[in-house]
Amino acid sequence: MQQQNDISKLRNIGISAHIDSGKTTLTERILYYTGRIHAIHEVRGKDEVGATMDSMELERERGITIASAATHCVWGENHINIIDTPGHVDFTIEVERALRVLDGAVLILCGVAGVQSQSMTVDRQMKRYRVPRIAFINKLDRSGADPVKVTTQLREKLGHNAVMMQLPIGLEAEHEGLVDLVTMKAIYFEGESGDEPVEREIPADMQDAAATARETMLDAVSMFSDELMEAILEENVTEEMIHDATRAGTLSMDLTPVFLGSAYKNKGVQPLLDAVTRYLPAPTDVKNMAVDLANDEAELEVVSDPEKPMVALAFKLEDTRYGQLTYLRVYQGTLGKGDTIFNSRTNKKVKVGRLIRMHADEMEDIERSTVGDIVALFGVDCASGDTFTDGKMDVAMTSMHVPEAVISLSITPKDQKAADNMGKALGRFVREDPTFRAAVDPESNETVISGMGELHLEVYVERMKREYACEVETGQPQVAYRETVTRKVDFNYTHKKQSGGSGQYGRVAGFVEPILESDEGSKDFQFVSAIRGGSIPTEYIPAVEKGFRECLPKGRLIGFPVQGLKITIDDGQSHSVDSSEMAFSAAARGAFRKFYPEAKPQILEPIMKLEVEGPGEFQGAILKTIMQRRGQVIGSTEEDGFSRVESEVPLSEMFGYATDLRSMTQGKAEFSMEFSKYSPAPAEVQKELKEKYKSKIPDEEE
Amino acid sequence: MYRKFVNARSPMRLLENGLHGGLGLGNVGALIAGHGVGKTPFLVGVGMDELLRGGTVLHVAIDQTVGHVKDFYDTVFAALATNTHLDDPQRTQGEIDHRRRIRTYPARTFNVDRLSEAIQLETETGARPTLILMDGLEAAGVDPEALKAIRELSIGLAAETWFTIEAEGERIEGLPAPWAALWEHLHVILALEPEGEVVHFRALKDHDNPDLQELRVGLDPRTLLLIRS
Repeated sequence: MQQQNDISKLRNIGISAHIDSGKTTLTERILYYTGRIHAIHEVRGKDEVGATMDSMELERERGITIASAATHCVWGENHINIIDTPGHVDFTIEVERALRVLDGAVLILCGVAGVQSQSMTVDRQMKRYRVPRIAFINKLDRSGADPVKVTTQLREKLGHNAVMMQLPIGLEAEHEGLVDLVTMKAIYFEGESGDEPVEREIPADMQDAAATARETMLDAVSMFSDELMEAILEENVTEEMIHDATRAGTLSMDLTPVFLGSAYKNKGVQPLLDAVTRYLPAPTDVKNMAVDLANDEAELEVVSDPEKPMVALAFKLEDTRYGQLTYLRVYQGTLGKGDTIFNSRTNKKVKVGRLIRMHADEMEDIERSTVGDIVALFGVDCASGDTFTDGKMDVAMTSMHVPEAVISLSITPKDQKAADNMGKALGRFVREDPTFRAAVDPESNETVISGMGELHLEVYVERMKREYACEVETGQPQVAYRETVTRKVDFNYTHKKQSGGSGQYGRVAGFVEPILESDEGSKDFQFVSAIRGGSIPTEYIPAVEKGFRECLPKGRLIGFPVQGLKITIDDGQSHSVDSSEMAFSAAARGAFRKFYPEAKPQILEPIMKLEVEGPGEFQGAILKTIMQRRGQVIGSTEEDGFSRVESEVPLSEMFGYATDLRSMTQGKAEFSMEFSKYSPAPAEVQKELKEKYKSKIPDEEE
Repeated sequence: MYRKFVNARSPMRLLENGLHGGLGLGNVGALIAGHGVGKTPFLVGVGMDELLRGGTVLHVAIDQTVGHVKDFYDTVFAALATNTHLDDPQRTQGEIDHRRRIRTYPARTFNVDRLSEAIQLETETGARPTLILMDGLEAAGVDPEALKAIRELSIGLAAETWFTIEAEGERIEGLPAPWAALWEHLHVILALEPEGEVVHFRALKDHDNPDLQELRVGLDPRTLLLIRS
């Protein structure tokens, strides 16, 4: 494998979109046309091989992509690293992590269904990470395909300045090829697998439409180049000018060029690859920021310069049949086999034994990688999100946005073998996926896993079974409730114990109040010491804070974490002999026990933002599914016979929603869901939760 | 301040006084204003007043997103809660949001049939509107026939209906040309015009009353709240 030297010819791209819009099929075709694979396998593998990028068995079975797999290919003189990203919202962290290391992306849209709810979620994420994108409208061979409508939706629903760079020659069963509006040639894809794109004249009956569409395209694109604008007036436009202007608009994220095709029918993929290399940014076009650990975490730019000290980000860990793989993106400098690198979080030294370039399930050893490259290392002990350097710089790449886990599930191994493997499996999943957590509940002694949704946890339970022969029984999914206080109360508590030997004495007094939305600082917990005159000696104040903090993980209403409270201590008393850190911690805990019921505590429940989309005739049914779940409909949008309902629904009501929605809408509606906020649960729900908790713990500890 | 006091002191009461009792159930009113003067804040202000008084609002917006309209309501509510020291704002907002539905349409797909379907669906799911607000109708185009049909819907629901019309400039002389034929079908027509730091409402038509009164209500462009002026 030749070394990638010219950084301007490197592209790190993601292929991101709604589930079932054809990402994996498109990736498969890209790998085929770039010579990385020599046969095409379909996603739901009739040939029982499955698409190359779906490297996990489970993904093959479900026909969806769960974990990102990185792969590398060459198109002309250009090197392309592709991260295949999942399309289901429960795996959004995978998408977010992929976006963090990408320079550009291809947004795939289904030519029939158009912009769906998940496309919107993914698009928001791309905006957050400022990833320039080009769009590919796929499935033009399907009945009902309408690329013009989808392009309009890109503008109206996602707010893109979308411009068609091609026109389809025929649609649905008649889809034959494309008209390239830059070259003004028709392209047909000949050969058994569409391997040979052939240019011909535009069909006579499309000449006028093509001329009009080119004019529209030039109008949009020329906004990004004065040279092109002048050339249009003087009628001496060149292809190069159009490419340059389109690239400028794409890089500034002010333009989304739209390409067309049918990956399944082998049409439109090669022109899309040309577009990727022409319009999406090289690593040198993107500004990447790190934090300078040696300078109070000040922001610092890492430069795409191979001569500078090496900085790389571990963005994904994966346990493969060859052992643990750590995927890295090199942001600065070069990384070679035999190099010694440092983990800036742990300061541990690591020797690079093997440097790998991944191609889905296969890999190739390389000697050296440079700026912008995505490579993998073997056997490196680190967590996802760690930064590696060559020791010359003390930096960390900006941390990634990690959403809160909202649902948990208790798991119990079915047999001894499963018990032996469970820890290993969980340890790996936790390192791989920051939104997946595992812990042992000290009371029930059960292992509890938490994550972003039902499907998220189900997939890990399945993976434990398949990859680690670890079968577990699962409990009822448990919502991550919170507790909070709603009113200000004073407290004054003395902890005194005198039972022979040295005694314990500490008095704490002050007040507790809810943290308001408008308050500055942490929204979870604030501790303020307003002690004057040493009524509590300074050395005991941290112990008081510690005592209060110890009460937070387990509220006294239903045993869930307490948040949103500010405790101020303004008085207290100590004893010259009997006071100690332990005594003041105990006093704080005692005060907490006393004031908590007086501060009118209440239960907060996680509220999810739910978007449901389906044919207009099912809107009533969709609304009903939301209303039945204590949902609040925010609004709905109707377009072209489709309706999208936006709402907020408590997570506790969402179990089994997929099944209900399917049965109410004949399987024609779909939904996406993400955490929105914590809100007070209704009184009857609070009452029920409290009774349930009390029945589990009859004798409340004091 | 308790909600009932906020309602009693609402500038909407002043507007109603100036309009001889307000728009009236089953009636249709229009607000005319130049671009960016405050058409949407007016609708949101009227909607917020209705919600705080226990009504149910259907807010129809053409060529906007649901999120955009919701942000308007959230912003106006936050400003109102702060200005009036509203009691327990979090609970109040949660409660009123349940009675507000936003429906958005691309201009090319909106017509009276869509509105009628929407009302039926909202009614079936427990949100029968007592106030209908329509923003951006000019893009969808409304003729006297459509307006008559909208009126029928309002009468059927015993709801008030307000919509906005965009004018060319800031000074409003009457209904803009394409809308002139609607004059007789509208019960109330208001103009919203900037004057100094505040924008003021002026009645152009008040049912059949020949004596148009000064309305003494404005819109604060900083808070987007309706104010006494």
